[in-house]
Amino acid sequence: MTRSPAPIRAPSPGFGLGLRPAHYPDFLGAPQRVDWLEIISDNYLVPGGKPLAMLDAVLARYPVAMHGVSLSIGSTDGIDRQYLADLGKLARRVQPLWISDHLCWTGVGGHNAHDLLPLPYTEEALRLVVDHVGQVQDALGQRILLENVSSYLEYRSSDMREWEFLRRVAEEADCLLLLDVNNIYVSSINHGFDAREFLRYLPAHRVQQIHLAGHSDHGDYIVDTHDHPVAEPVWTLYREACRLFGEVATMIERDDNLPELAELVAELDRARTIASEVQQACAAAA
Amino acid sequence: MNRYDLAGLQAAFHDHLLDRPSTIAGEIADGGRIDAARRLHIYHHAYRARLLDNLRDAYEKTWTYLGDDAFDAAAHAFVDANPPAHRNLRWHGAGFPEWLAMRFPDDRDIAELALIDWQLRRAFDGPDADPLTAGALATTDWDTAGFRFVPTLCLAPLHTNSTAIWHALDQEQSPPAAQALPAAAWLMIWRKAWQPHFRAIDAGEHAALAQLLAGATFAQLCAALGTRLGDAAAAAQAGTWLGRWLQDGLIAGLTHPPR
Repeated sequence: MTRSPAPIRAPSPGFGLGLRPAHYPDFLGAPQRVDWLEIISDNYLVPGGKPLAMLDAVLARYPVAMHGVSLSIGSTDGIDRQYLADLGKLARRVQPLWISDHLCWTGVGGHNAHDLLPLPYTEEALRLVVDHVGQVQDALGQRILLENVSSYLEYRSSDMREWEFLRRVAEEADCLLLLDVNNIYVSSINHGFDAREFLRYLPAHRVQQIHLAGHSDHGDYIVDTHDHPVAEPVWTLYREACRLFGEVATMIERDDNLPELAELVAELDRARTIASEVQQACAAAA
Repeated sequence: MNRYDLAGLQAAFHDHLLDRPSTIAGEIADGGRIDAARRLHIYHHAYRARLLDNLRDAYEKTWTYLGDDAFDAAAHAFVDANPPAHRNLRWHGAGFPEWLAMRFPDDRDIAELALIDWQLRRAFDGPDADPLTAGALATTDWDTAGFRFVPTLCLAPLHTNSTAIWHALDQEQSPPAAQALPAAAWLMIWRKAWQPHFRAIDAGEHAALAQLLAGATFAQLCAALGTRLGDAAAAAQAGTWLGRWLQDGLIAGLTHPPR
């Protein structure tokens, strides 16, 4: 009798939201129909004060995932060891569901652009990212999740598609994926590819989390702004992701034009409904 | 075609963001609904917009005081001269007050207002400390005791009525006209519980705090005051300050030099 290998991804904790300071009183004041929360790790890499006190209070009530923006996993500068040490220290405090950042670079030459800049999809970039993911996972003692970013340009030097690059990074670095369905949609419009082809190519057993978010339509291109409700085409794509990847932890990112928490909880209910409908349909078909 | 390696491509991209000469445009794929120049412009614009938003957020009162046009011009010039080097965006604006002092050398109120904004932000998530209460001092050996202050305490010289300007802006009122202070004063900023605080202090209180921060005992402070004021007045003055510091939550502990 052979034992099946241990699953790479953890069971889904359900449906979550990004923790934003304006909603601290809601989360600490009463139970909310939210299964887990995602923090922006960088906002809590501070010495003390209210942010860390609120975080501790939230940790007593909700499971929390850590999501960073400054790892710069694809920078030729290499991994910033101090940033990594700070992240590890925060992780010991949070005991997070998991730790994620973006498949991108944020600066070079000792500077930081504070933007999620796209990588060329080349063997050279792949080797660099795989090496850096290994360093990070060794330091943190766990697999990390990498998120596909929205992008507004592609390089002539790319010799594979984004989804091929993403899959190879995940498999060769043995890491997990945070699939941002809105980013896939944004990039598919900006670059003219089939978003469903992107989804279908990914290794389902490594998709640990899904992000949903809103974007801004500029007419001939769209920008990932996190300041609107999730758009209809993104919901359609989410339904496809649910079909392909099964039960995956899903959360909504909202950073600007932040509404009342109840509005986001209602939006999250739509994700619950879609995931449930897909599961029922799959069960009926099986 | 000769291509950059990854390091060269990232350096060229970064040069483009920073408005330095760059050949990145030749590396961007054509095609789709917008051309390579517009695609690059999206990143160029986003870089500046994000850093401007960050400065507006960190320097809210300074922004209100200067207005959009003057603040944005100053902020953009600061961004051009100071590309962020820290991983955490919150530190990017650290040098802005000093930079404003150079940009507006005849308007010291602007840089001072910015310093208040910045130090309040710094105190907000600065290191924690539990302040002492008056009751905790009941058994203190006053011959040897000094004070350890909360780690968020910051002292800076004041030359203008910038604290009054800050308060007016905070109340959404028209700020008073900027004017030089008649006597030397100091800005004191710290955090009590979760709330950053500040107040202006005179040269005497500043000198006392500076002496204690440098390691003097409370007895040494009283002795130094006594030579100027006489013992009774010195004790009264030191007692008044100590009461206010305790009330303000400024004292985090006692220090006793080794005997």
